[in-house]
Parts: sequence; structure tokens; C-alpha cells
Amino acid sequence: MAPTLLNAALGALLAAALLGPAFDGRTVSVVVAAAVLPNLDAVASLAVAGATNTLLHNVWIPLALAGLLYWDTALRERSTLRERHGWRGVRTAWVVLAGFAAAGVAPDLFGTPGANLLYPIEDAYYVVDGLLLFSTQDGIVQTFVSATADGPGLLPFESTGTTETRAIPTWVNPDGRPGLALGAEREFVVVEAGWQAVVLASAVASLAVRFRPRTRASAETGDHAGDAGEASR
Amino acid sequence: MVSSIVHAGFALVLAAGLLRGSYDRRALAVVLAIVLLPEADSLLGPVMSGAHRTVGHNFVFPAAAALLIYYDTRIREESAIRERFADRGVRIAWVALFVHVFAHVSLDWAHLDGVNVLWPLHDSFFRLEGELVWSSADGLVQTFVDVELDPETGDRRVDAGSTGTTQSVHVNNPVEPDDPEALAEAETIDRRFPVAGRGWRLYLLGLGLFTVIARKLQGDPPVGSTE
Repeated sequence: MAPTLLNAALGALLAAALLGPAFDGRTVSVVVAAAVLPNLDAVASLAVAGATNTLLHNVWIPLALAGLLYWDTALRERSTLRERHGWRGVRTAWVVLAGFAAAGVAPDLFGTPGANLLYPIEDAYYVVDGLLLFSTQDGIVQTFVSATADGPGLLPFESTGTTETRAIPTWVNPDGRPGLALGAEREFVVVEAGWQAVVLASAVASLAVRFRPRTRASAETGDHAGDAGEASR
Repeated sequence: MVSSIVHAGFALVLAAGLLRGSYDRRALAVVLAIVLLPEADSLLGPVMSGAHRTVGHNFVFPAAAALLIYYDTRIREESAIRERFADRGVRIAWVALFVHVFAHVSLDWAHLDGVNVLWPLHDSFFRLEGELVWSSADGLVQTFVDVELDPETGDRRVDAGSTGTTQSVHVNNPVEPDDPEALAEAETIDRRFPVAGRGWRLYLLGLGLFTVIARKLQGDPPVGSTE
């Protein structure tokens, strides 16, 4: 799994970007929780072989939830969600789903050890890593997608193995295999690269700006009235 | 450079989160222009050694710009920005500065030889690279800043990822895709325009597109609610 704090930071950035008028402390916490949620499959790996980056890191859960949400809010005559929680509830639900898929699952796909995208229909960890550039000598060079990739998967991406051959170590489960390894050394990765530190700092700074006390902000710049005008335009 | 397209992707995510009611196509265009502008320092490469990642990539100019905006909008009696562009202009100026610092300079700081952090006050490239890990055996371990203690003299040497000065560092870019000396001798010059050099950069690019498309598809908030 990607560092948990990275998922949380990306979730916070998405919440700030997408919640709109539904943005407040509670809704942001829910979106951040949804972004961290996929990492819980590491806990399941203590009992189920190869559950890490598999059980909650596939496309089916987000697709099913999106289908359900679309059916309830757009196709049904009376939406249960809208009736119970109003416009804010619908907006928050969509952003929670985006947090789960784009900030929780997707970061694991773009770096080792990868995500088991099509599980349980197919069992293969995929990694989308490589480069894409335009060269004046070689034209377009890309190594993200390769139709001839070796490995167990059907999709044209690099595959790092199956739940049988690949055990992903986490701080919850240091050897990646079922069973509690109580004596083993555990490593909780806060950030594992410079860019992740930058994303984390950006998220903290963004939330600090957004949660700046409203009274102070409007007293100093008088932008509260301007906002109201713009939103109702 | 981390590809400008990746900067733009991350910039869109940050801008969408900060622009609030000022979010629209024109505001995004301003932010994107500010994100692309610093790359122009690669054009200075042929006349100034180590210009790329120095002139447009430091934290001194953004700090100066922040002071200027603060002075103009809070201290002066009549703000030039507010007079011309109203409160919306003030917000966009702050967001553009934020995005420049976090989506451009900071991301480049974590890439290749880094950026010339304190130029023109102090000429030294720094690179942000390392990890921060809590281990049950070793406790909290970080490798971003190396602190070495000389056991004999007790001298402390702190290395925050220094990679050299404008004289010794050249960061490849499409204008000068290799060291200037090597370029002078090369027969054919291969100029490379990166889109995404690693999976995570493709991810940030995708996240930016996702954010903009999601904002487009969202239903309008009910009348009367403010962001």
C-alpha cells in the first residue's frame, strides 16, 4: 500500500477541490477516511492470503458504488439519499467515492507493489510505471503500456505477480503472509520520497487556508460578500 | 524539469481547492500561465550558467511576491490589484503564488538536482529526497537531511541534499538537453520533451484532469449556499 498519510493528503486535496459549498470539517474527515479505507485490506491479509492491495484495491467496488449512486440520484424518481441528506449528502457521497477511488486505490496502481485491479475475476497485481516523452530523435517514447508484457495479467500493463507469488509487506503485516508475526520489525512509512513530502505539505497548507477563520478572512478582505455574489450568480 | 504538464496537473488540483467562488476558466488560465512561466529560465541557459532551476525556481522571489501582494492589499490605502481586478483578483493572485510554490518549485525540488532554493541570496542547489519511517526497531528514521557528527572533533556537518552551484549544476531541459560542453561537441542533438517520467507523475497529471472534469460534471449548488 502507498503510505497512509499520502492517501489522506490526496483525499484532503480532492475534498477541498470538489466539495464546494458542502466543504466543512465533517465532510472533509469523511472523504479523508474514505481515502485511507482501502489500506484496511492489509489487516485482512493477516487472515486471508494476499489480501493486501487486493480486496479493496480493485475497480469493482468503486464501479458498483458509482452505479448505485447514479441509480439512486439520477434514475430513480425519488432519491433516498437526497431525501434524507439533501443536496449536501449527494455531493458528499460523490466526493467520498472519488476519494476512495482516486486518492485511496489509484496511488497504489502507479508504483510498486501495484494493485490487483480486476480481482476476483482475475488475479494479477498491476503497476503503471514508466515514461512518456517526445524526443526530436526518437519521436514519441512511452513505456507505460506494453501489449507484450510478461506476467499473469490480461491488461497491457506491467504485472508484478499474483496473490500466490507476491506478498506485500506492510506495517500491519510485516511479512505479508497470514498469521501474526508479533516479534518481527515493523516499519510505518510516513513518506518514502521527496514528492510525497511535497504533496503532504500542500495538503496541510491547503486545509490551513480553507479552514482559516471566516470572520478574520471576511473582515480583512471583505471577500465574503463577493463569494456569495459569485456563488448565486 | 518535472514535465510542465505534470506541474499543470497538480496545479489544477490545488487551484480547484483554493479558488472557491472565483473558480472559472479564466482563473485557471491565469494559474496555469504562472505555472508555465518559470520554465522560461531554461531559455537563459545559453547566456547564464545554470540558469534553469535557478532564476525561475527559488523560494526568494515567491517570498518577495508575497510581501508585495500583502503590502498592496493590506497596508496601502488603495490597492492596485483590488482596484483593477476587485477582490477576485486578490484571491487569484494568492492562489497563483501558492500553486507556484507547491506545484512547481517544490515538485522540482524533489527531482533530479533540485532547485536553487535561496538564489539570488545564496547560490546553492538543493534536492529534497529521502524518506521518513517509523520502525519498531530503530524508532523514527529520516533521510531527508543528513547530520554527521565527527567523532574526533565534534564538528557537526549538516547536508540537506546540496548538489552544487550554478557553476557545477546543469539540469537538462529541452533548450539544453545535456551539459553545454557536451552539446557543443555533439553531432545530433536529441531534445526530449517529457510528459511523465514516472508512474506517480502520470498519476498527478491524471488527478488534475480528473478534478477539472469532475468540477465540470458536478451539479450546481442550490441557490444561496456559499463556498
